[in-house]
Order: sequence, then C-alpha cells, then structure tokens
Amino acid sequence: MSTVTMTEQEPSTTGTPMVRADRVRKSFGRLEVLKSVDLSVEAGEVVCMIGRSGSGKSTFLRCINHLERIDGGRLWVDGEVVGYRQRGNRLHELRAKEIARRRTEIGMVFQHFNLFPHKTVLENLIEAPRLVLKEPRDVATDRAIDLLGKVGLASKAKAYPRQLSGGQQQRVAIARALCMRPKLMLFDEPTSALDPELIGEVLDVMRDLADTGMTMVVVTHEMGFARDVADRVVFFDEGRIIEDGPAAQVINDPVHERTRAFVKAVR
Amino acid sequence: MSAPTLLPTESEEEVSDGLTVVPQRHWGRLVSALVILAVGVVFARSVVTNERFGWDVVGTYLRDVSIAHGLVITLELTLACMAIGVALGALLAIMRLSVNPVVRSAAYLYVSFFRGTPVLVQLLFWFNLAALYPVISFGLPGVELDANRLITPMTAAILGLGLNQAAYQSEIVRAGILAVDPGQQEASDALGLTRLQTMRRIVLPQAMRVIIPPTGNETIGMLKSTALVSVLAVPDLLYSAQVIYARNFQTIPLLIVASVWYLVVTSVLTVGQFYLERHYARGNRNLPPTPLQQVRRIFSTHSRLSVGGQR
Repeated sequence: MSTVTMTEQEPSTTGTPMVRADRVRKSFGRLEVLKSVDLSVEAGEVVCMIGRSGSGKSTFLRCINHLERIDGGRLWVDGEVVGYRQRGNRLHELRAKEIARRRTEIGMVFQHFNLFPHKTVLENLIEAPRLVLKEPRDVATDRAIDLLGKVGLASKAKAYPRQLSGGQQQRVAIARALCMRPKLMLFDEPTSALDPELIGEVLDVMRDLADTGMTMVVVTHEMGFARDVADRVVFFDEGRIIEDGPAAQVINDPVHERTRAFVKAVR
Repeated sequence: MSAPTLLPTESEEEVSDGLTVVPQRHWGRLVSALVILAVGVVFARSVVTNERFGWDVVGTYLRDVSIAHGLVITLELTLACMAIGVALGALLAIMRLSVNPVVRSAAYLYVSFFRGTPVLVQLLFWFNLAALYPVISFGLPGVELDANRLITPMTAAILGLGLNQAAYQSEIVRAGILAVDPGQQEASDALGLTRLQTMRRIVLPQAMRVIIPPTGNETIGMLKSTALVSVLAVPDLLYSAQVIYARNFQTIPLLIVASVWYLVVTSVLTVGQFYLERHYARGNRNLPPTPLQQVRRIFSTHSRLSVGGQR
C-alpha cells in the first residue's frame, strides 16, 4: 500500500490550480526517482520542465495522469486527487474504469508518438471519442477533420502512420490527444525522437495550441521553445524541483548553480 | 547456349565499347541440377510403371462416398478443435499475463499439463472418461448426465484435440501480445480506453501479425493430427480409407487416396493463410505481393540486371 498522508483539505474550487503537487514521492524498487516534488500549474498556464535525463521530470509528468502511481505526497488535477476519491478524511483507491474516465480529460503526447499503426490517421483520432465518449461516428469525424486541418495534415486523413514522417506523426498524435477535448495537455519530450529539420513544425503546432489558452505541461530540451512559449520554467534535479520561475529568468539568469550548469550545457 | 547480355538492345556478347562480356559459368549448379533431374525421372518412372500403386483404384476411390464423408468429418474436426483451441488459447494467454497470481498460475498449470502429455494419451483418456466419472454432474444439484452417452467418440476427439490445442495456442497468442510495443498500451491508457477495449481494438489486432503464421501452421498440423482419432473409431478420412482397405486389401492405393485429400486441403489452407496475413499487414509500407502480382513482376522484367532496379 502506498502511504498517502492526509495533510490538509482539498483546495477550494474557486481558482483551483489545474495541477498541484505536494511533496510527491515515487520510487522504482530501491531507486527513489521523485524525492519531494512541489508544483502548482494554473489553468491556462504553459509550464516547461527541464533537467538532466534521470532527474525525474518524465516520471513526474506520467504521475499526473496516473500512468505511474505515486508512493507519497498528494497530487491533484483540477481539484481532484489523482488516483483516489476523497470521502471525509479517507482516500479510496479508484477503480480502473474511474481512472480511465479521469484520463480522458488529460491529453498526453509521447516521445515516440505511439500512434496505432494498424489504423489510418483518421481512425487514430476517432478511436477514443467513439469508444470512450460514445460519440457518433460523424460527430467524431467532423471534429477530427477540423483538428487535422489545424495541425496542417487535412490531406493525410486516410494515410497510415508509417507512411508519414516523424514530424507529421507527432502532429497527428497531438491532434489525437486534442480530439478528446482535454482540459490539460502533457507533452513528454515531444521532439526528442525527431530529425532536427522536423522539430520546428511540431513546436509550431504546440505554440498555436498555447495561444488558444490550453494548459500545458511540457518536458523538453528545446530551450528556445521554453523561453518563447512557456509562462514558467521549472528545473528538475535529482527528484526535486530546485528552480521555478518565469521562463526568461530561469533560462537566461538562473539562480541555482546546477541550473546554470545545465542551461549552459544544452545551449 | 547464348550468354545473357548486359543490355537487351546490344548484339550478343558485345557491349558498345567493343568488349565481350563472358558470364561466369556455374558448373556446380549444372551438375547438381542434372543429378536431381535424373533421380526425379527414375522415381517418376517407377511411380507410373509399378502396378502396385494401383492408380486405377486410386482414381475410383478418390470420389468414393465414404471417403467424401470421411473428409467432411476431418474438416469438421479440424474446424471445431481449432475454434476451441483459438478461443481458449486467447483466454489462457490473457490469463498468463494477468496481474492476479492465482489466475496466472492456473493458466500456467493448464499449459504445462496439456503440453506435457501425449495427445494420443489425452484422446484415450477422454474416450474412457466414463470409467472415471460414470455420472457427470458438474457439481451442480439436479444435473445427472450419463458419461457413456455424453462422451461419444466424436466429443472425445473434439475435447482431446481442442483442449490440447488451446495449450499450444495460448503460447502463440502470448508471444503475439508481448510483441506489441508497450507504448501502444500507454497511449490507450492515456486516452482513457479500458483494458478490454485496449486488448480488443489496439493490442490483439497488432498481435495478429505475429499470431497468424504459427496459427496457420497449427491448423495444418491439426488437420493431420485428426488422423489420430481413427483409434477412437471416428469415421474420419483415414479411418474411412482403412475401413475400405480392410475389405478389399488395396492398402497402398487407399492410403494414397487419403494422402491426396490431405494434400489438397492443406494447399487450400496455405492460400487462405497468405491472404489472412496480408490483411493484418495493412499499415505497413510493403505488403507481400499476391501470386498474381508476382507473376506480373516476372513477365514485366526483361533483363536480369533490371530485376529490383526500376520497380
């Protein structure tokens, strides 16, 4: 059993942060990946998470939609405790179906796209709206076509993922996540598996998405993107967030010694 | 014999700069081909001239009514046993991958038991079930079935071969599921699909590419394994042939009749498997060419040098 401690009451619904983490801990066996992570992301905010590989940023991102279970601390998404239901001062572990339902409100984009290779682009987009939201085919298809237009791939609806370039696949993956009309989007190193000349097109789509007011949490090594698009940048180091501030300040003028070394190395 | 030329338009053995191209001579290939052809001719000649093959008898019995009935029984058995094998095998594979240790162990024990004993022994066990449980009640009150009447030779055959097949099939399905990229499961989770939806819509269709080829092998194997049920006196293809040759002593011709039919059905199954594989390969850049496409490719190729070049 995980040791989830009751510390305080659920935050009030007015001005609830979209994501709130309170001393989140996570271990894989003996390896403590997250030691104590505190973070708050407001609705409409774009937060980039940077740090060396193995610093825990991807693991933390995966905790937000419960792909990984936390071992300690508390984590809320839009006022709801991730993976649990609060009744009085007890936390009941959610059933798989309820976890699945909550995940529908959180879109996720993976480093390796993870498109369904046996389905066409359009089928990739409408699969979850049809199965999970029980939408009629034509409603889901209309929205899917609209989203494909927004990511610049309207002509590829009938193509299979393997017929597309990496950049195109990642744009399809973004459209697939958006097709569920999420209130929060998580990006796990979305450009790390791409050829350099394809990174720009994916970042452009993400920039457009940020302009629409979507709440986004992005694990990335793209400092330019972080500086231009993010409202805040947080720096992960050995399972903690050791620097958290406005994008320009964290990247251009970091306070912490380790942040300075990292920013210098990746630039 | 003229050597093949570099360019079809050039005169033989000469290219534009006046040099003669001498192709490599493959003496080894020539000799081995001649040896094989010679052996083939000798064998074919003996098959045709040896009267004991009894080709006229083969011709007569190939369309015999009881042989046809036997063939139908064999096909029914194959279909029924494979249906049980595939359905139960998929269930066992999913059980083997369960997080529940009891469920996992149960599937594991099933597989080790049915894989670890000869299928012929299992067939005889099912056939003699009445000796073990004269009355079958499934542990339910009010249910009293006479085992001797319930377990006919045909049900014993279906149970024996089907349950045995499930053990092998489960390993095939399990390998297929494990071959699917774990990222597919994660993406499905993140989209809010339930585990059942993910298995049915995302994982199994992709696992099919790995599952189909060995399952095709197993189906062909099953067709031949059904010959074992002749020990239970089920009138399948082999048993029907045996009944006839016990009467007229034309043993060899009737075994040939049975073999011809087994060969015909396995050939048909092989073709079916090809198209099934092709169906589940969709989404791949290179689909395997159909026989028609292969023939076209051969005829559209003029020179050996252009093979794989322009197309």
